[in-house]
Amino acid sequence: MIMPLLKGLQITFSHMFKKPVTLQYPTERPAIKPNFRGLHVLNVSHDRAKCVACYLCPTVCPAKCITVEAGEDAKHDKFAAKYEIDMLRCIFCGYCVEACPVDAIRMSETFELANYTRADFTFTKERLLEKK
Amino acid sequence: MVNLTVDNKQVTVPKDATIYDAAKSAGIKIPILCHDKKLHPFGGCRMCLVEVEQMKGRLIPACTTPVTEGMIVRTSNDEIVKARKLVLELLLLKHPIDCPVCDAAGDCDLQNLTYEYKVNCNQFVDEKFNHEIDYVNPIIERDMNRCILCGKCARICDEIVSYGAYSVINRGLEAKIGTEFDGPLNCEFCGSCVSVCPVGALISRPFKFQARWWALSKTKTVCSYCGTGCQLTLGCKDNKVLTTVYDEDQGFHNGQLCHRGRFAYQFVNSDKRLTTPLIRKNGKLVESSWDEALALVTERLTQAKAAPASLAALSTAHLTNEELFLFEKLFRGTLGTDNIDHSAGFAHAALTEGLKASFGTVASPSEILDIQKSNLLLVIKTDAYETHPVIGFEINLGVKRKGVDLRIVSDKRGKLGKLPGAQTTVHTPGSELLLLNALAKVIIDAGLADAAAPGLSELKAALAEVSLEKAAAATGVSADEIAKLAKDYAAAEKALILLPIGLGYPGHNAALAEACANLAILTGKYGKEGTGLLVMGEKNNSQGAADLGIHPKASGLNGSAIIDACISGQVKTLFVAGENPVVSYPNRAKVEKALEAVDFLVVADLFLTETAQLADVVLPAVSFAEKSGTFTSVGRKLQQVKQAVKPVGLAKSDFEILNTLNAALGGQKYLNQSELFAEIAANVPAYAGLSQAALGDEGKLLPVAPSAKLVPVAAQAAAPVAGKLALVTGSALYHSGTMSRFGEGPMLVCPNAYAELSAADAKVLKIEDGDAITVKSDTGSVSVTAKVGYRLPQGVVFAPYHFGEGSINAVTDGKAVTWVTVGK
Repeated sequence: MIMPLLKGLQITFSHMFKKPVTLQYPTERPAIKPNFRGLHVLNVSHDRAKCVACYLCPTVCPAKCITVEAGEDAKHDKFAAKYEIDMLRCIFCGYCVEACPVDAIRMSETFELANYTRADFTFTKERLLEKK
Repeated sequence: MVNLTVDNKQVTVPKDATIYDAAKSAGIKIPILCHDKKLHPFGGCRMCLVEVEQMKGRLIPACTTPVTEGMIVRTSNDEIVKARKLVLELLLLKHPIDCPVCDAAGDCDLQNLTYEYKVNCNQFVDEKFNHEIDYVNPIIERDMNRCILCGKCARICDEIVSYGAYSVINRGLEAKIGTEFDGPLNCEFCGSCVSVCPVGALISRPFKFQARWWALSKTKTVCSYCGTGCQLTLGCKDNKVLTTVYDEDQGFHNGQLCHRGRFAYQFVNSDKRLTTPLIRKNGKLVESSWDEALALVTERLTQAKAAPASLAALSTAHLTNEELFLFEKLFRGTLGTDNIDHSAGFAHAALTEGLKASFGTVASPSEILDIQKSNLLLVIKTDAYETHPVIGFEINLGVKRKGVDLRIVSDKRGKLGKLPGAQTTVHTPGSELLLLNALAKVIIDAGLADAAAPGLSELKAALAEVSLEKAAAATGVSADEIAKLAKDYAAAEKALILLPIGLGYPGHNAALAEACANLAILTGKYGKEGTGLLVMGEKNNSQGAADLGIHPKASGLNGSAIIDACISGQVKTLFVAGENPVVSYPNRAKVEKALEAVDFLVVADLFLTETAQLADVVLPAVSFAEKSGTFTSVGRKLQQVKQAVKPVGLAKSDFEILNTLNAALGGQKYLNQSELFAEIAANVPAYAGLSQAALGDEGKLLPVAPSAKLVPVAAQAAAPVAGKLALVTGSALYHSGTMSRFGEGPMLVCPNAYAELSAADAKVLKIEDGDAITVKSDTGSVSVTAKVGYRLPQGVVFAPYHFGEGSINAVTDGKAVTWVTVGK
């Protein structure tokens, strides 16, 4: 009867000498693991997004949160005239990154995505572009 | 029949079948890249290699090897897979593999086979091609770096389209598909090459980067331009028609389409579409609600009901059968007027009056499939190709594959005359009737006429005055040539006459149809396979409109009489459903005057056309892609139209508009359009016993029971006017009616009104190709662009009628030939 109680107290007692688990967020920042799937980033190369608007990410997306519209640039090449992710629908599965044939999209360490209005959760191409 | 074994399955196939056909009939799929069921076997890609027990030691191409009795075929084993993989590796060696940016991805044979055969690496290394990409062409983009040299584009252009825009040029590694002198592509832009390209070397520029193939929802329906009745598949996304998808198993034409069908679908989602009803207030058309607009129309039609003679209605033959039937019910039934017509009866009188008199029915006694089964084709006007290009493909195939003897009677030369063995009889403009009567006369005089032909004695009497020499002088065709043509026609075992009709061909009237029918009846060439007379209605549902009687039956006014009656003040209320008389009816000034004179004009259309701009109420209607129903095509084929996208804005189908009006005016209210089809089936004999559901994807051929009778036709040549040129109107290859102006393709290729002159006349008048010229007649004058060519005889000018700006109906007045002066 008394033994389980003592065992419990022993665990409690031992924690008094360990480092606290709680992170004093936001003053303290968590260490983010390399395979973390945070906010999407559109990779940039030669001053333009690498995305060629192949439509594989909207095709593979299980949450159907990606909208792409292709355009034709001055050199007749295909580029994403519109690239939008609805973060309210996104389930951060990372399939888009896996499907991308040109390494145009990756997932960053950014996880602080809270916002005030629904519209703010629509990430346009402008907001997704890699900031260098 | 030949028996063979394919993958342990017993197969029996005709003796002209190949191993590929045999496997296909047994449900075994052999991979192909260069083979197409419509084309002659080629055997270029070596993907279809199979093993034949009797020919062991090497692999055999299935697509070019004919079957033999007792053949034992294996379509797949390790050796075959290895060989196919090698073929793919070699193709991928030069192929850029730019699938992410290639529009063909998802519908690419090379991509699919690479995936199927798991070709993940390549044992060879080589540089890619560095051909220049043709971005200049507005319709077809050619990226020869992606080409796998299957040659299908060159072969389809040669074998079926008979244009020959492409050919393999250069040798060895340098070989590529090129155009003449490797210059820019300048062809008919039918897009057949794009449709058969197994990779993305040829892509449709209007559809470029619009959507991925797999994201398109595909709806099988029927084209809404000409009367051929081509089936097509609309590729739609986000409620927009984005492209036409090729399906080689569709229709008699095996998915082949013309320029209009393939590249002119954009009118459905055009920015110019009407999205809300408009009412004229203080002289200006302002947006209104449906309730307000329909209440106004109902009020005015109720007033008109008291005096039905003051009410008239014009309909286009673009509507579905169900809508046309309701149109007739509303105006003839509920409102009691007989003043109804479609596309002006004078354009379709060949069907409604001509065939009615000659065959006792308003439908042609032949079908499109008869073209290839015939021995001799007599085409009235080479324009049959321009008005119905896919029927033109059938003629091409008939001549080139089946050895059909092609004879053309025309006032100008054209593409059909360039087919092997084709003979064009060029007559003076407007003398078709004289020529046909002369042919009948020769047949009678030579004793080649069927003595039992009904009405022979009357015809003989009527033709007694006709002399071959006089006819030769009037038509400009030598007596020998007329006699030879008549005798050849009569001697052919099976002969078929093709007669295109439409608003551009006022001379192709009831009399001409009767004269054509006379030839067929005289020689007994009707009612049998490959014979008869095929009257080719201009619009997708011309035949349906004729079947359903959308024309005055008793004392009513026809299209041209309605216009006159509007001016005289007899007709006060005019309802126009989808028709654009201002551009398409003869004498534009008169039509405009008539429409301005009429008290109350209602126009239901897709666009604010030249006619709609004059209306008091404009109702936004929907296109074929936004509604369901049925169309009846040239060869009496009844086919289903299926809704692919939702109506644009507040637009409503003509069914909804007419149904609401009919109910408001005291007629019956229908729940949906299929209810009307049941009523058509119950009331129209040819449609008896049919239901929409039973039509399926294939459609049904409507029965016809011709009761032939020879009808004497009086012929008079258009008397030449000294110093003037003969203007004949018609269709341009890239356009159909006035609606194709709202499609992207036709406006990129042929945007402006033009008049075609012979080189000889142009030289005399000092006019060069591309000059702005003025065409002037007694009726009026118009400024158009000059086109100088060699196909017109001297003294003849040709102008298509589709254009609003520079519309040729400003100078014409409903006669077969208009005498004009042309100057800069």
